[in-house]
Amino acid sequence: MTRIACLYVPMFALAARLRSEPELLNEAVAIVEGSGNSAHVVAATRRARTKGIRPGLSLAQARSILPKLIARGRDTECERTAQEALFEVSETFSPRVEDAGDGVVYVDIAGMTRHFENELDLARSAMRAADGVGLPARVGIAASKLAARVAAELPKSPVIVDAGHESDFLAPLPLTRLSPQIDAASTLRRWGLTSIGQLANLPEAEVAARLGDLGRELHYAARGIDPRPLIPRPMPPDFREGMDLEWPLVALEPFLFIANSALDRLSARMEMQGFACKRLELTMNLDPDGYAARAIELPAPTRDVKTMLTLLRLDLEKAAPGAPVTGFTIIAHPDRPRRAQLSLFGPAALSPEKLATTVARLVALLGEDRVGMALATDGHLPERFGIADYAPAPPPDKRLEPKKSRGLLAVRVFRPPMPVEVFLNGSEIASVKGEGDVCGAVRTYSGPWRVESDWWTEAPAAREYWDVELDGGTVYRVYQSESSEWFVDARYE
Amino acid sequence: MAATAPQLSWQFGLLDPSSASRPAPTLVPPPPPVEPGAALAQVRATLEASVAARVRSGAELLRRAANNTEQLARIPTTLEAFDTLLGGGLERGKLLELVSRRAAGRFSIAMAALASSTSVGESAALIDLGDHFDPRLAEENGVDLRRLLWVRPRTVKEAVMSAELIVATGFQLVVIDLGLHPIKSRRAPDAAWVRLARTAETSRTAMLVSSPYPVTGTASEAVVKGSSGRAKWRRGLLIGVEMTLTLEKHRHMKPGGRSVVKLFVPEAPDVVGSQLSVLCGASVSGDAPQTTDNRQPTTRRGASR
Repeated sequence: MTRIACLYVPMFALAARLRSEPELLNEAVAIVEGSGNSAHVVAATRRARTKGIRPGLSLAQARSILPKLIARGRDTECERTAQEALFEVSETFSPRVEDAGDGVVYVDIAGMTRHFENELDLARSAMRAADGVGLPARVGIAASKLAARVAAELPKSPVIVDAGHESDFLAPLPLTRLSPQIDAASTLRRWGLTSIGQLANLPEAEVAARLGDLGRELHYAARGIDPRPLIPRPMPPDFREGMDLEWPLVALEPFLFIANSALDRLSARMEMQGFACKRLELTMNLDPDGYAARAIELPAPTRDVKTMLTLLRLDLEKAAPGAPVTGFTIIAHPDRPRRAQLSLFGPAALSPEKLATTVARLVALLGEDRVGMALATDGHLPERFGIADYAPAPPPDKRLEPKKSRGLLAVRVFRPPMPVEVFLNGSEIASVKGEGDVCGAVRTYSGPWRVESDWWTEAPAAREYWDVELDGGTVYRVYQSESSEWFVDARYE
Repeated sequence: MAATAPQLSWQFGLLDPSSASRPAPTLVPPPPPVEPGAALAQVRATLEASVAARVRSGAELLRRAANNTEQLARIPTTLEAFDTLLGGGLERGKLLELVSRRAAGRFSIAMAALASSTSVGESAALIDLGDHFDPRLAEENGVDLRRLLWVRPRTVKEAVMSAELIVATGFQLVVIDLGLHPIKSRRAPDAAWVRLARTAETSRTAMLVSSPYPVTGTASEAVVKGSSGRAKWRRGLLIGVEMTLTLEKHRHMKPGGRSVVKLFVPEAPDVVGSQLSVLCGASVSGDAPQTTDNRQPTTRRGASR
């Protein structure tokens, strides 16, 4: 048996705007469509409505009623992201969700009742979940999309229509609930029909003969028959949040303030789906035209807003867009967060999510090539090294005994090698003069050891190395390059 | 997400306790009856002879358990002289400062600690202010690079901030190497070190700060000073160094203790090739002009002596 839940957000344009700008929630705000003299109100907050602001008023009329009215234009980007959020909320209840646009989604809930006490409980849970992403949704459950939609539009929510009782449910409701076209509505009014039940009681053939296919469809709808199947939408490959700004932004801080709330919403949506962000894409609309786009690769999947914001800040500081920003879209490419099996008896493992966040924040603080797992690369030159993404191996199942140290002398490498002056006494090395402590008479030295590397490349290296002990007791590794320059490249320590 | 958790009753429809005709399910057959006296003998017989011989009393077991706990409270560097000086190694949750300007050994002790920690499967981090770490030599020293997070800050401030992030993540050992004298950039404020020490205590991370001069102030649990570094040469080659360590400060031990750490160049006792070939994997030319025997270079006394 088909059971469909409809999630409906009344005054969707306003709800989407308030979701992006929650600070306006208690203000007198009107959403305006059109520009100049044709600007008219399409929705208004409760505070504005109590003062007499109604949809359909021109902006000038609204301002004359309420001079302090905050007017916001319709923002398609806000509405699109709000619709995405509503869709994702619905996906947490059922994998079969249809996106009907403008704050309406249909959810196939057949077989879902065993996860809830009853359909009413499911509907209430859906309302709470939608409220969690900043959208005040109403819910209606019925056997067809049409009945579910009409049930969801009723002010007292949630409404459950029992299977097979769709026509009984619709009968007392006014005809306007079926949203007939204007011509058909006026005809029906001339016939003296006011409720859906009155239309359903008319003979179908007579209505079709007078109103054509439209009349037949209306008659079907009045009887609660809706043959349209639910068409589920595949899951989007990425998460988007964005906004058209009221005025162009020229400074970084105000932009980051707005981006922070967008990232907050992105993070909440990804958390709901069990995802983390692996790549961020930012597209900024510029004034007067054009756009700037950039992509930020995160070192590990994370949902930490602070980390993502820091990376965004660093990227913008590095390369400013070069023009005022009038709008933006942030796209988060999802990835599964790292998981790890923790050991009961072995050493404590690091929490993968915590580690990913830490690494991302370290990268944001220091730069990409300055954090990671060291790699021992092959080669003859001592300064060689590699660095890779840090992904520690899982700890052993049981605690091991530490390996006995070999007591080896380590070498402190100087990157880059420090140029020094070496004074010779005949062919003997007499003293070394460099920066800091690398200065003094030579007590003992040994060498040379000749190193030739990369002779097959365009930048071959041929060096002669010496171990040199200065009079302070410190031993340095010194080499003379092919061009007879001297360098200290390490200290035995 | 406010979804209600599913009721579990539907999952267990087959096991209906109200049905009297259905027998109760038994997954494990009941154990055979054992007489009380024979039970102990049976258990002892199943233990290996060596283990059974060692277990004499409950007090002994408790003592061993206490010893194990004590051992787990420290990360030994396995450099005996250093561990003895500190009563067993680096204490978890505490900050130890190792100070030495000229003497060799500071970096080697840090490497030994990292090798010890990573070899038991723990996660360690090296915050390398001077960018002095050589992965290949560290691997030679026994450091498991897969478990080591290498961080290369540019300033002390970045180093301390990185350390705080890493310690809070739960790494078991964090080594901060502040490089050579003079330390790059300005000093970090004392409050930063105190905050770091507190974070380490909370997450039970052992911290080793290796610095050319004291920086942590009152935040450190202990300060060990290295001095009197002395290089050892044999048959014209550097074979190692000796370093005298002094316990300058300890909150729970009497300061003033001394010990000598001896460190060797890999394969130093049987120097056939140069240590450079071992350290760097270098291709050593066979016709070095100043060698006296098989690829062995000469050692010369400096003109100043």
